[in-house]
Amino acid sequence: MVEVLLVLAVAAPLVAAGLTAVLGPRILRERSHIPAVAGVAVAFLASALLAGWWFITAPAGGSEAAQQFTLDPAAGPLIPHLGREMLVTLWTWTKVDEALQAPSLPGSASPVVRPFDISITLRVDALTLFMLVTVTSVSLLVVIYSIGYMAGDPGYWRFFAYISLFVFSMMMLVSVSNFLLLYVFWEAVGLCSYLLIGFWYSRPAAAAAGKKAFLVNRVGDFGFALGVFLLWITYGTLNMHDTPAVPGILGEMRLVSGPQGFVGGSLGIAICLLLFLGACGKSAQFPLHVWLPDAMEGPTPVSALIHAATMVTAGVYLVVRCAPLFQVAPEAQLVVTCIGTFTALLAALIALTQTDLKRILAYSTISQLGYMFAAAGLSTTLAVAAAMFHLFTHAFFKALLFLSAGSVMHATGGEIDIRRLGGLGRKLPVTQAMFLIGALALAGVFPLAGFWSKDSILHEIALQVGQMPLAEIVFWGLLVGAFLTAFYIFRAYFLAFFGPEKLPEVAISAHSSAHEFSGQGHAVHESPPVMLVPMILLACGAVAAGWIYFLPGGVVGLLESTPSLAGGLGGPAVEVGGDQEAHSSGGSALQSAEKLAQQVPWLGSAAAIGGILLAAILYLPFGRGLVEQLTKITKAAGLYTISYGKFFFDEVYELLIVRPLRGLSEWCYAVDQRGIDQSAVDGTGEAVLTAGRMVRGLGHGMLSGYALLMIAAVVIFLGLWLL
Amino acid sequence: MEVLLVVSLFLPTLGAVFIWTGAAPARQTALAVSLVVLAAALALLSAYPASVLPTQKVPGEFAVIEDLGWLGVTTPWLDIRLSVGLDGLSILFYVLTALLTLVAVLVSWEDIRHGPRAFYGHLMLLETGMLGVFAARDLILFYIFFELTLLPLFFLIGIWGSEARQYAAIKFFLFTLAGSVLTFIALLAISLWHGYHSGRLTFSIPEITAGLAARPMELTTQLVLFLGLFAGFAIKVPLVPLHTWLPLAHVEAPTAGSILLAGILLKVGSYGFVRFCLPMLPEATIACLPWLIVLSVAGIVYGSLVALAQRDLKRLIAYSSIGHLGFCMLGVFSLSRVAVAGGVLQMINHGISTGALFALVGMIYERFHTRQIADFGGLARRLPVWAFFMGLMVLASIGLPGLNGFAGEVMVLVGFFQRTWAEAHCPAGWFPLFAPLSVLAVLGVVLGAWYMLWMTERVVFGPLRLPGCGPEAGTLAHPPVGHLAGESSGTENSSHSVSDLKPREVWALAPLAVLVAWIGVHPGFFIRFLEPTIWHLTAPADRALARRLAQEGPQELFAVDQVPGWFATWHSSGSQVPAAPAEKVKPPSKPYERQMPGDFAGPPTDEDTPLASEATKAGLGGAKLVEFVPRKQSG
Repeated sequence: MVEVLLVLAVAAPLVAAGLTAVLGPRILRERSHIPAVAGVAVAFLASALLAGWWFITAPAGGSEAAQQFTLDPAAGPLIPHLGREMLVTLWTWTKVDEALQAPSLPGSASPVVRPFDISITLRVDALTLFMLVTVTSVSLLVVIYSIGYMAGDPGYWRFFAYISLFVFSMMMLVSVSNFLLLYVFWEAVGLCSYLLIGFWYSRPAAAAAGKKAFLVNRVGDFGFALGVFLLWITYGTLNMHDTPAVPGILGEMRLVSGPQGFVGGSLGIAICLLLFLGACGKSAQFPLHVWLPDAMEGPTPVSALIHAATMVTAGVYLVVRCAPLFQVAPEAQLVVTCIGTFTALLAALIALTQTDLKRILAYSTISQLGYMFAAAGLSTTLAVAAAMFHLFTHAFFKALLFLSAGSVMHATGGEIDIRRLGGLGRKLPVTQAMFLIGALALAGVFPLAGFWSKDSILHEIALQVGQMPLAEIVFWGLLVGAFLTAFYIFRAYFLAFFGPEKLPEVAISAHSSAHEFSGQGHAVHESPPVMLVPMILLACGAVAAGWIYFLPGGVVGLLESTPSLAGGLGGPAVEVGGDQEAHSSGGSALQSAEKLAQQVPWLGSAAAIGGILLAAILYLPFGRGLVEQLTKITKAAGLYTISYGKFFFDEVYELLIVRPLRGLSEWCYAVDQRGIDQSAVDGTGEAVLTAGRMVRGLGHGMLSGYALLMIAAVVIFLGLWLL
Repeated sequence: MEVLLVVSLFLPTLGAVFIWTGAAPARQTALAVSLVVLAAALALLSAYPASVLPTQKVPGEFAVIEDLGWLGVTTPWLDIRLSVGLDGLSILFYVLTALLTLVAVLVSWEDIRHGPRAFYGHLMLLETGMLGVFAARDLILFYIFFELTLLPLFFLIGIWGSEARQYAAIKFFLFTLAGSVLTFIALLAISLWHGYHSGRLTFSIPEITAGLAARPMELTTQLVLFLGLFAGFAIKVPLVPLHTWLPLAHVEAPTAGSILLAGILLKVGSYGFVRFCLPMLPEATIACLPWLIVLSVAGIVYGSLVALAQRDLKRLIAYSSIGHLGFCMLGVFSLSRVAVAGGVLQMINHGISTGALFALVGMIYERFHTRQIADFGGLARRLPVWAFFMGLMVLASIGLPGLNGFAGEVMVLVGFFQRTWAEAHCPAGWFPLFAPLSVLAVLGVVLGAWYMLWMTERVVFGPLRLPGCGPEAGTLAHPPVGHLAGESSGTENSSHSVSDLKPREVWALAPLAVLVAWIGVHPGFFIRFLEPTIWHLTAPADRALARRLAQEGPQELFAVDQVPGWFATWHSSGSQVPAAPAEKVKPPSKPYERQMPGDFAGPPTDEDTPLASEATKAGLGGAKLVEFVPRKQSG
């Protein structure tokens, strides 16, 4: 029964995608949203029901009871259940018997013979449910919003078919229980992203952005694929769960023995870093972050759903899911945390000077994902929970911000350059309010969602100060990032909604030129209710999503029944503390770290308020002169140019990677044509012809010549014989 | 079943005779014949024995005809037999041949204006040749069919091709013939050697396979013969650098020729490697394995790189074929089970998706008479159905998960990775070569996506550009709304009134599209057919490789751990000090660091769980739990 619910949740969007694709162009036409909305709604309801059932039937007493013992007759001894998971196997994708035959795997002493067995198995556990509910709830709201936003677009049915396909892929991504299948849906969401970025494919910029997104992601997937291959030869399976024959990579049989169940060392580090490379691609972390800003060429609901709320968080999900693997590779953890922090700062710095509203939000997304990675890299259950918490709240407020931006575009005929906008507040009061709520939540102002989740992350990092190298830098870096975040988002807010009324001409003229809109001649106007209602609901989320913090047990309480989070995490922390010297030195460090952690709410709020105030001083009408001065100074120092130029990553990549490869390919082609084909191959042919020509002289038909040859030959052979 | 096999094998020849003599209309006869053959092939497929019978000489073999009453009867001293049969390896190729011939017949329907009689006659004859190659159980018969594929295709390219057709046809013919003559000599020598040592001259492939498995040749003999076989098969595959006939032949060939050339004829080479080299000359194969792997990976990377420089659609797809065939051969030569299965599956996949891509390019060539990428743009707006199929096949070709290319590629890569990096899989001498190659091969996947998506961006997406009309007004970054809205009205400023795909063309592509999705979603269904036979055929090479491993010793992996100093210090000073009791996130009443009931304080003993015993062997000491684990050889 419950299994049916899961399959239903996943299948509904797929069916919707199929229906829309088949019926959309001819029959449904401007009603093409019906299957998509229905499908996503079913997915949401089923996920919510499943989550409700999951938590209601949770063993009473919470975590303690979750670790009930059961007698496994095959194994003999007691096997503690670390967490709770439910598996539904649909069919076997492929199976090759006796695929891996090795004298031993790192985890076992006896010779092993393992099948290459990839089964389509769905799993339900707390982490998956958390993601499912996040994904489906935001998806549902965005799909409804799209009814209004995409109205009149010639590709209306295509949009809803793609987006249903995306919801399906994303749900599968978080619920499959096999790393190869995770990779499959990892790429599938990438495909949907590619199709939706290039949705208005006749714009060259959109087509190019789609291709760029796909290729940059492919680079990340290259790492992911290598990581999966390494997992296969290291663990002899790709399943996360245990099967009767083989312990899964994240199965309880492994988890129960703590860190010993996992392979560390350079192999462990390699696996984690390769997986993280994949996560960097999908979640737009440095150095693979370059695709996400360009992805804003897609329709705004897509930016909200795929490139802010859901798909880009897949990387965080991956790192969180693999937390036990990361835990035996501390170096990899450190890399994840540092890359996350660096990206968070880098993107925030770029966002300071951007003028395209959607790109500001895109860089903000990159930055916020950096926060999640900074926490996820710590791999303790609390930190991982903080990362997931931020993922959850971010989904709401960032989607809200994007949808508000979309509402602005809807009103102004596609104009989103904040230099050409101003004073929109009077015309678009609801949109302004929505944007404000989103901005406050993003900035992390009490008591909105962002405050709780961002502070949880900072809190966890603060606790590491003194224990983890660089933790101090990470902490202060992220705090500065919080200040920058508040500044850039309120800069955008003040510029767009305050000041003298500035409206783009296109919006006033009879026809909007961006074919994104149906082109009805209009003055600037507020969006229809079908767009506003989802925004208002998201705004409720942006306000209240952080309050799951107050649930009994907190966010950790929601997630800790996940086997991979309940099992090993915290384990090595307890053990390593046994080292006497480390313990004594760690003791004092611990106290100062705790002190720092207690100040986090104040520090965080100060950063947020400071950023907002600075933005207000500079960008509200009375500060205009100041900002020009500031721009002049920073321009003179080159800082403005660097930030505005996005640190010139695109240019550097073009110069260092794209051009040389293109050159190499041209060179290879030249070699192919001249070196191989014309020289070697045609040369062989020529040589044969030439040889023929040379011999042809012999067949001249003169008898005396033949006689001479014969005599010469006889003489030679005689000579040879005599010798 | 045997009747079906014979009928499907020779019906096309009969059809060719009818068509040539003018006794039947060319197109309709060809269509009818190819439909019947396809039906027969499918019936054969459904009759595939699920279980391996003890009577089979080759596991998975069925529909065997020992002799159709030919030379075997009349010339008992020269035991050449008209012996045909199918097994797990050939049955899928057999069906694919029947299917692609049908596609070729359909796409040529209006394309071939002059001489349809001769064209379809050749096409039918070619079908017999291709089917025969896969069905032959006799060396001589195999070679006859092998050569029989050559002549009709020579005429197809030379008569119905594009501008440089004659040059291309002659190059194709001579190149292939030069190799196949050597192959023929080597095949003859193999059977003579076998005849000499077993006392009975036979050309039966299963018998020779079994005989040579029982009593292998000396290594030098094997090596010489291997070179002979290699000459023919490597040219046919083609492996770099013997590939230059292929782009030329593809570009000049008519659409039907390209489809069959890419879809089936290239597979004859890789099929030959699996059918002859691996089981008959295992030691030589192993001796040459590093070279073969280098050539395969070179094909993947080089083919992709050169494809990136192409400006002609057909040429681009031709070079992409070289990359894909590189994957097939890499799989076969990796000799790990997953890879071999994946490699053979990838041969089928390539036949489907590249065959379809050539068909699609042919369809727009028929409409616009150009294949230059620069001439096209935004075809998705004018030819949405075509664009759908093109997009699907492009995605299949770049190995998008859920479609067929992924299933093959990922299995090949998993297998090769396992051969290189898994413990006790890679002879020590090979490892330094294989390690970079294994990474390069995966990089080839990125390159593959690049050129294909670049082509798609130009041709399918972007502003509408049709040959001869110049760029449209819609090249503006923000074209007016009415432009897209009017896409169905067909009143745009184009002199061409180009129609989207006709039902005939859709019917030609639909089965391929279904297969692309089917193999992608459930490759296990197809692997099941292959399994018994390919394990049988690769077993001798497997054993040879095992001997080599025993001789040379496997590569020691991760024996020495190089850790940067500052990491090590951090590490030993105790990295993961517990998170302090977190009042903030959790109520203090429930301290987080609870003790696990499974006795977390100490490492579990061996008796705890099956896994625990595995875990303690992992080399992790109890004192420092987060230890750098050297992977130890446990001989």
